[in-house]
Amino acid sequence: MRKDRIRIIAAIGIVLVFAGLVSVMHLGSAPDPSASTRFLARDLEETGASNRVAGVYLNYRLFDTLLEVLVFSVAVLGVRHYLQQSEGMELPDLSESEVVRTAVIFLTPLALLLCAFFAILGHISPGGGFAGGVIAASGLLYVAIAYGMRAMEKRLNPARLVRVEEAILLALLAFVLLPMVFGRTPLSDLMPKGTPGQLLSGGSILVYNILIALKVLVGAWAVIAAFAQHRGEL
Amino acid sequence: MVARWILLALLPIVAGVALLQTRRLSAIIGMGLFSLVLAAVYLLMHAPDVAITEATIGAALVTAIYVLAIRRTGRLTVVADEAPGLIAREGDEIVGLEYEILDGFARQVGLDLSIQFVPLRRVRWLVSHQEADFGAGGMIPCADDDETLTSTPAHLETGVFTFPAASAAREHSAPRELPDYEGYYADLLEHDKDGTIAATAKALDLARVMSLGRVGAALEGLDRLDGTFGYAFLVSKRRTSLQRDFAAYLRQLRDSGRLNELIQRHFT
Repeated sequence: MRKDRIRIIAAIGIVLVFAGLVSVMHLGSAPDPSASTRFLARDLEETGASNRVAGVYLNYRLFDTLLEVLVFSVAVLGVRHYLQQSEGMELPDLSESEVVRTAVIFLTPLALLLCAFFAILGHISPGGGFAGGVIAASGLLYVAIAYGMRAMEKRLNPARLVRVEEAILLALLAFVLLPMVFGRTPLSDLMPKGTPGQLLSGGSILVYNILIALKVLVGAWAVIAAFAQHRGEL
Repeated sequence: MVARWILLALLPIVAGVALLQTRRLSAIIGMGLFSLVLAAVYLLMHAPDVAITEATIGAALVTAIYVLAIRRTGRLTVVADEAPGLIAREGDEIVGLEYEILDGFARQVGLDLSIQFVPLRRVRWLVSHQEADFGAGGMIPCADDDETLTSTPAHLETGVFTFPAASAAREHSAPRELPDYEGYYADLLEHDKDGTIAATAKALDLARVMSLGRVGAALEGLDRLDGTFGYAFLVSKRRTSLQRDFAAYLRQLRDSGRLNELIQRHFT
C-alpha cells in the first residue's frame, strides 16, 4: 500500500516536471524567424534535394547525422560486447500459427520494398535511410516471429553481418572524408546537384541514404539476433 | 486543424487505456496505437519525415520487439497429463477443475494461458527445466520430490489406490477412441485392453480410477492407501514469486467459497 502511494506520487511528480520543462521550453524559446526563411529560400539550389528535411540533415547538418550514425554503431557494439560475456543459450524454436506465417509472407516483401523506396527516394519525398532501415529490420523481425529465430539464424549469420555493418560504417566515413583527396573540406558535397525532383539529384544525399539504410538494417538485425542468441529469448 | 486537436486529445486517452490493460499483449497494442496516433499528429503538422520515423519505430519495430519479448514471459505455460475431471480435452475444448483454477489465475496475473498435453514423465522434466510454469493433471506431491521440483498447496483431496502385484487377464474393456498423445492416461487405457494395467501403473489416483471405471476398465483388487493425499500443481523450486502468487490466489479462491463451488460443479 505504501509502495503504491510512493509510486503514484512519483508518477505525478514526473508529469509535473515534464509539464514544467515543456512550458519553460515553450515560453523561453525564441527561434530566429529569418533562419528558416533563409534555409527555405536557398537550400533547394544549394542541396538539390526537393525534400528539404533531407537537405538539412544530410547536407547542412551532415556532421550531426554522422555522429548519430556513430552513436547507433556504439549501441550495437555495446549490446554485442555485454551479451558476449553471458554464455550462449539454446535458441528458442517457437514459431507462430499459420495465420501469422501467411501474413508475414505478404508483409515482409512489402517492408523490404518500402525500405528501398524510402532509401532511394529519400531526397525527393519523405522517408530517408534511417526509417527505411528500421522498416526492413521490422520485416526481418516479423519473419523471426513467424518462423522462429533458429530458422532465421541459418540464413542470416549475425557474426558475419556485424562485419558487414562495420564495413558500411567505414565506407560512410571514407565517403565523408573523400573530398580531402581533392583538396576540399571534409563533408563537402562532391556530386552534381542535378535537377531537383529527379532521381539523380541532391548530390551525395542518395548515397548517404542508401548507406544509412543498409547500416541501420544490419545493425538492428544484429542487435535482435544477439539478444536471441544470448538470452534464449528477446 | 480540428482533426489535429481531436488526435491530440486522443493521445492521453490512448495512453491511459494502454496503461490500464492487465493483459500484456493488449497493453503493447495500446502502445503501438499511441505511436500511430502520434504519427498522424505529426503528419497533420506537415512533418511527414517525423511521422514516418514515429510510425516505423514506435508502431512497428518497438511493438514487434515487445511482442517477441512477452512470447515467453506473457504466457502461463502449463504442461499436463490428461486426467478426466481435472484437466482433459473434450472435443476442441479443455475442461476440468484444474483448468478452471489455472484459467482464473492466468486472468488474475494478466497472462495468456497455454496448455500442452504431454506424458507424465515429460511433465516433470519440463517443469523442473523451467520450460513450463506449472505441471498439472492430477499431480500428487510426494515426499521424495527431487530438489528442483516443489508443489503448490493442494486444491483437492484425493485417494491413492494400489494394484495387486499380479494382475489376471480381464474382460476386454469398452472400446474407446484413444487421445492422440502418448500420455500416462492414454497409456493406461491402451494397456487396459489386454488387462495389463498393473504392469504400467503400481498406484493410481482417484480421478483416474473413476474415469477408468467409467470407460469400462475392470479394476479389481484395488487397495486404498492410508493417509491423506491432495492434488496440486508441480512448480519449479526457483519460481518463488510464482509459488507465492499462486498460493495467494488459491487462498482467495478457497476463502471466497469459489473453490468449493468449482469442485461441486465438477465432481458431483
